[in-house]
Amino acid sequence: MDLSQYAELFLAESREHLSACNQLLLEWERNRASPEPVSGLFRAVHTIKGMAATMGYGRVADLAHRMENLLDHLRRSGRAPADEIIQLLFRATDALEKAVGLAVAGREREADLSVLTDIDHAAIQTKPAPQPSALARHFAPEPAEDQSLPAASVASGASAARIIDVVIRSEAPLKGGRAMLAVRKLQTLGKVERVQPSVAVFESDDFDGRFVCELATAAAPAAIEAAVRSVGDVERVTVTGGAAADEVQVNPAESVAGGGRTRHIRVDLRRLDTLMDLIGELVTERGRLNEVAARWVGQDPEIDEVAIQISRLSADLQNEIIQARMTPVWQVFDRFPRLVRDVALQLDKQVSFRVEGKEIELDREILDALGDPLVHLLRNAVDHGIESPAERKRHKKNPEGEIVLAAVRERSSVAISISDDGRGIDRVKILEKAKREGIVGPHVESLSDDQLLRVLARPGFSTAEAVTSVSGRGVGIDVAMTRIRALGGSVEIRTEPGKGTAFVLRLPVTLAIVRALIAAVGQERYALPLTYVAETVEFGTVPLTTMEGRDAIVLRDRVVPLVDLRKLLGTNGGAPAPPPRRPVIVLEMGERRAGIVVDGMLSQQEIVVKGFDAPHGTLPVFSGATIMGDGVPALILDAAGLV
Amino acid sequence: MTEGSLVSARLLVFRVGTLACAADVDQVREILPRLPTTRIPGAPPVVAGLVNVRGTLVTVVEGWRALGLPPLSPTPSPDAGVIGSTIILELGKGEEPGNGGGGGGGGGGEAGKLIGFTVDEVVDMLASGETTLEDRKGLPGVDPTLVRAVGRRNGELFIVLDVAALLGPILPS
Repeated sequence: MDLSQYAELFLAESREHLSACNQLLLEWERNRASPEPVSGLFRAVHTIKGMAATMGYGRVADLAHRMENLLDHLRRSGRAPADEIIQLLFRATDALEKAVGLAVAGREREADLSVLTDIDHAAIQTKPAPQPSALARHFAPEPAEDQSLPAASVASGASAARIIDVVIRSEAPLKGGRAMLAVRKLQTLGKVERVQPSVAVFESDDFDGRFVCELATAAAPAAIEAAVRSVGDVERVTVTGGAAADEVQVNPAESVAGGGRTRHIRVDLRRLDTLMDLIGELVTERGRLNEVAARWVGQDPEIDEVAIQISRLSADLQNEIIQARMTPVWQVFDRFPRLVRDVALQLDKQVSFRVEGKEIELDREILDALGDPLVHLLRNAVDHGIESPAERKRHKKNPEGEIVLAAVRERSSVAISISDDGRGIDRVKILEKAKREGIVGPHVESLSDDQLLRVLARPGFSTAEAVTSVSGRGVGIDVAMTRIRALGGSVEIRTEPGKGTAFVLRLPVTLAIVRALIAAVGQERYALPLTYVAETVEFGTVPLTTMEGRDAIVLRDRVVPLVDLRKLLGTNGGAPAPPPRRPVIVLEMGERRAGIVVDGMLSQQEIVVKGFDAPHGTLPVFSGATIMGDGVPALILDAAGLV
Repeated sequence: MTEGSLVSARLLVFRVGTLACAADVDQVREILPRLPTTRIPGAPPVVAGLVNVRGTLVTVVEGWRALGLPPLSPTPSPDAGVIGSTIILELGKGEEPGNGGGGGGGGGGEAGKLIGFTVDEVVDMLASGETTLEDRKGLPGVDPTLVRAVGRRNGELFIVLDVAALLGPILPS
């Protein structure tokens, strides 16, 4: 069977289990006495092992198997594990994650399995007093053991088997034949081993109709039971061990019913992208239809009705598909507790890390692109933000620092903040350095939050006293800011000496379709997403001033610098003279504002954001383009490039 | 670049101003009438703008400017309707980019990038073997780094354009 089509699925599912492993290890590290994490870990690793074996990834399966072995010992010992064991399990989880990635890439041979020696060594040390194997216990003389098999002992054998216990009805004729058939059926699902009593006994007159075997299979317990029951005259089937649960007693009547709960399927993201593109075209054509309908409505009023219906339907469709692309932020955030822990450990810091607003949703594409910038900022927070425990004590702070990663839904954007209660950024030091490097003039006396961020975000600017392996190489904030801006988002910083620093990232909820103002500049049209539009005012109705040599307006006692799009975009040629009262669109990104001067406002509508290969030299103020109702493209202005 | 790879290719022959040119058919995605373009502020003058090709945005290059030719008729008469065509080319597919001129662009590996190229008239399509190509670098008045070969059709010479060398440098790699 060609399994390559399942490779992506294997990767996705394994990653979920590995993420769970990391969460559980963190929990276990904090609370060593808790029995839950080890059971969860065991299940997760066991599942990966089963899937890897099915896929033929021998090295992955082997590594998982040996981890499972160690976990089984730990689980049965019931004792709190030593710190080395936890650290070893973290390393083993990392190795497993790498091996999974390599296996899917067809490079399983390259997997580094050096951790195996330590795992095996630890497994020997943690091995509890010898106990009879699962099967031996099953057939042990004590009737109590016979009834139900403790799950803990299931996986002590070498195979990942489920244990199948079959009882043929005592009144049934040919009990041996039935049992034989049942074994054959099981063989269609996987490898059958350790049939007890042996198959030879089935034919004897003494055979009482009961047998037990191990089955290495990926099939669900329900499927296993169904296979056995299909031979007829089966009184009882018990499936134990395996991936899904510690012990599953399957009742066919229950297993058939799947209704009532929300059902999910996995969909290739490219499918959703294509769907989104198609909807985008539909939205564009809808705009055209509305224009045509407006022209013909005099002749036949029905066309208007149809156009309205089509509009409504495509809007609903668009909404649904946007919803389908939405992904809760925990899918990316869940790997950060482990990251923060590792970095803190490396730097001898004590950090408690909290995540808030895990359920907030963002478009999958934005969320995926957000991972790296957040890693940068979190590393920064641990490295530069949080002080060493000794320094914190000196300042009468809790030796354990706190970092909070929070997602909050705002109007049409999501704000993600990374805040620490550390030392804050030393403005004086930054200012000195900025002066030395000629970033700010020598006369500047202090930096506002906004100026501070601009200085920090300069490529190569670093304040780290010593360059550590964690951060401080002068990459980080600039990379993070570039990425966030590329997503149509903004970055804001707040910092207070001795109290801490917070970075706030604001992102649009979805990239694909946004509401925008369509502005006229000369004879050209430009789209300006409403996400950052605060208000519009009319030029000439508000007081004028200048700010740092730029024209500006005064709006409710605040000076807002102006950007004249005619000048910026080089509008020329046959463009008519600008109207006397030009509209000013006020953009607001966090603390920053700018007034965009245009010639006119044409409409407000939903636009489909599309990328284009910008030729060399293109002004860096566009986030994409859209296709207008008449089929002609219009460029989309990037608020972050303007304010 | 060997002569053999040229002879085996089918060629689309078109005219830019008075110059007869050709491009490898494998690099031609489609031929469209001239489409309304949207100016891209900041882009070099050789870029005519952005067009909508059934929902995909494509940057279009003005053919005569790219080849350094004088404009034929600056203002086409309105009665003539839409003059010329836009050829949609796929870069980074087919031949490797030329190693002369602007250092080539694109490069293999990635999926092809689309770019439009305006011409005055699409003339013909030549099947393989219908023409003999000479590995001659250009004709007078044409930048030799943009020319892959020279061919002959009905007695008239035409140049086979090195599309990647011509258009690759315009787009970011």
